[in-house]
Amino acid sequence: MSGDLERRYRRVLRLLPGWYRQQWEEDMVAAFLDGWLTGDPAADEYIRKAAGPSWAEAGSVAGLAVRLYLGGAGAPRRYFAWGQAVRRFVLTVLLMHAVVALYVLVLASWSHRLFGLPAPPASVLTVSPDGLWPAVYYVVNLGWVVTFVTLALGHYRTARILAALAIIPDLVALLQSRLTGVMPAPFGSWALWVLLSVTPVLAMAAFHRDAPPVPARPWLLALPAGCLLVYGPVLAAQLTGNAAWLPDFAGLCCVIIAAACVVHTPRALSHRAADSGVWSLTLVLLAVDAGIYRLVTLGTYLHDPHLINVSLTELLILLAAAALVAPDAVRAQTATPAPPPYPGTMAA
Amino acid sequence: MAVGPMTAQAFFVLTALADGPRHGYGIVKEVADLSQDRVRLKIGGLYGVLDRLAVEGLIEPDREEAHDGRLRRYYRLTSEGRRALAEEAELRAASARVVRARLGPSGAEAAG
Repeated sequence: MSGDLERRYRRVLRLLPGWYRQQWEEDMVAAFLDGWLTGDPAADEYIRKAAGPSWAEAGSVAGLAVRLYLGGAGAPRRYFAWGQAVRRFVLTVLLMHAVVALYVLVLASWSHRLFGLPAPPASVLTVSPDGLWPAVYYVVNLGWVVTFVTLALGHYRTARILAALAIIPDLVALLQSRLTGVMPAPFGSWALWVLLSVTPVLAMAAFHRDAPPVPARPWLLALPAGCLLVYGPVLAAQLTGNAAWLPDFAGLCCVIIAAACVVHTPRALSHRAADSGVWSLTLVLLAVDAGIYRLVTLGTYLHDPHLINVSLTELLILLAAAALVAPDAVRAQTATPAPPPYPGTMAA
Repeated sequence: MAVGPMTAQAFFVLTALADGPRHGYGIVKEVADLSQDRVRLKIGGLYGVLDRLAVEGLIEPDREEAHDGRLRRYYRLTSEGRRALAEEAELRAASARVVRARLGPSGAEAAG
């Protein structure tokens, strides 16, 4: 009856999960067609053939799909588990950015002998000289710290904007490097940018209006703890002349996530901790991201079989550790605690 | 039901249903009229709101009617929804009174 117009809208509605379509699709189609059709047969005939859902209409369905798949309050268990896991994935990657940023800023302050510090030993890696791009680099690093804190404090929209801004200078520097062959500041590679910057920024869509509040205190405490646990040993290795034993950044990510999987395994195997499955799913997501990053960066070591072997070993350790928690991650989709009800009357 | 701040969309959807049941597109039109076009719901947004209101027990299906070969589902306020809307309206009215009192006569003139 409503022909192409209806078919086009139903195609957009395929973005929504099956259980939701079963409940609401016919209603949504009826409301959509009511908005278009005029009751005049000639006009309606033309509209049915020529019209289609606008970008804004498709966008509203896509936004609804994100809120449903990465569920929050009131979502079915499976989608709530995915939503929570993606939100924790984002927080963890932003925590990683913030930890690295603090380390960079501490080294910068040290190498510039700010606060009356003595000059750092030559064995400690110091950062780039003065100039516009290095200054931008420091601002971006500071931006990651602010973004992480803002997100942990529950200011989702502000955090999304800050994160989107923080990834732009890297892109500009990478493009400039591609065009001129010179990287203007110690920004990362395309792989780093896509996997550890763009991916979490896109995944921040999981922090929608139905997302439950982030427990701020543990995440904020994780920032100094992460600095001490990760860069304490790194700095110690550099100061004692053992920097050659340190893995590169991709390797460091693999080792840290593998260690987190191993630490989490007793909880994952006990099946008693109510929230363990979501953490297992989060760790699997992190392992996939770090594993791809490790794999992609193998190309830079093709000249050195030893480094290739080291990198592959890091990858295998990561896979083995992720396999320990993977069954619990699968179980999380049915065994996750029921999501909280909607926060009052439509709290935004 | 815990009471929190109500979004403008939810407020106007509940208001649209206050004088009787309406179907999906009827709600969209009524919300645009009531809000003087400040709140313009897309269908995806509307059903996100309706789903939440239904889960919260503030609205419920009323009836289905055939129209042009399709079924239109009508929604109505529940007694809980009517109470929540009345409370929200009172809250907003009280806030408006405070603002008017603070602004004084000059505020009314500025608002035109």
